[in-house]
Amino acid sequence: MVVIVFEIFLLTLLVITAVGIVRSRDLFSAVMLLGLFSLQIAVIFFILDAADVALTEAAVGAGVSTVLLLGALALTSDREARPKGRRLLALGVASITALILIYASFDQPRLGDPQAPVHQHVAPWYLEQTPKQIDVPNVVTAILASFRGYDTLGELFVIFTAGIGVLFLLADGSGRGARSQLPSAEAQGLRHHLIPRVVGALLVPFIVLFGLYVQFHGDFGPGGGFQAGALVSAGVILYALIEGEASALRVLSFRALAGMIAAGALLYTGVGLAGILRGSQFLDYSVLLADPIAGQHLGIILIELGVGLTVTGVLLTIFHAFAARAQKR
Amino acid sequence: MYAATATAILVTMALALTRALLGPTIYDRVLAVNMFGTKTVLLLSVIAFLNGRPDFLDLALAYALINFIGVLAVLKFVQDYTMRHSGEERGQ
Repeated sequence: MVVIVFEIFLLTLLVITAVGIVRSRDLFSAVMLLGLFSLQIAVIFFILDAADVALTEAAVGAGVSTVLLLGALALTSDREARPKGRRLLALGVASITALILIYASFDQPRLGDPQAPVHQHVAPWYLEQTPKQIDVPNVVTAILASFRGYDTLGELFVIFTAGIGVLFLLADGSGRGARSQLPSAEAQGLRHHLIPRVVGALLVPFIVLFGLYVQFHGDFGPGGGFQAGALVSAGVILYALIEGEASALRVLSFRALAGMIAAGALLYTGVGLAGILRGSQFLDYSVLLADPIAGQHLGIILIELGVGLTVTGVLLTIFHAFAARAQKR
Repeated sequence: MYAATATAILVTMALALTRALLGPTIYDRVLAVNMFGTKTVLLLSVIAFLNGRPDFLDLALAYALINFIGVLAVLKFVQDYTMRHSGEERGQ
């Protein structure tokens, strides 16, 4: 199978890139190599038929993570400090861990083996029950949003908490400061460069539109709230890069972003509680409407919307917190 | 046919990766990353057809739309950096 050869080739490139990232002392080129790493791993996920995961990697890796890493880099030095001592100890720990992992891999079933435990446990049940109980073509969405709704709720609250944590560390009232202070030359973005401005202004609406498509088409194709949130924030970040952060904050202020973060988490929990109020269990969408399948569809759309709101809010808040802090220096 | 195209794209990707690793200037790396992104869009489309899943083209579309952002962010960073350290020569 020729695709396997492609995959091995890409995995080799991936290892070379990873070594390049580790060996690079210039953090700026390390950030760019991390971008390459993300592109390669997305293609590998795609070849493995994990389109939902690949779309997440694409949405986060191509736009948001590079921007956030550069924002962090603007606050620190772009040279990595040389580590002192302890290198032999680190080498020993890394080698022992690698040996244990290689030893453990001997017990692993062959790649794609249909008899592997992971394919014999609950997966057949999900594949069998999804058309009957939920009736959406994308089984990944059915598992993520309905069968394992608790896990996704937990994930959402992890993002929620992470966003609040980053705000506590970075913001220190800069939300107010950034709005009142006059935008400096750096905050103007790339406004005086004609080509980025024209092309970027053309792209922003399409990115947001594509984000909405990914958000609401998640039941049918790859996608869902996480990917859509990352895509929409990528669109707003592009606007901020071109027109300056102050303009982006006029569109979506810190207050609006904080509202989105809270509203998303509340919407998800509220849908769960509605299940209890309608006489069933927490996060049981079947009772939301008279027809259980229509109820499942409604529940999935609502909770995906909650996920999308919170992810967009958190990513943009972190971006603005970094940008405001870099400007103060 | 698709396999031959994918092989050619993979070779181009390897060449771009070499340039990104070697440098030597920042602009070599920026260009290499940009080119690698474009090749990723192409490779994803070709593999989608090779695997008979053209409905997964969404992913290539996502990259085609937002690849630009990373490169823009890098360029803006370089611009701000040279503004702050205007005496210092950057990227040589």
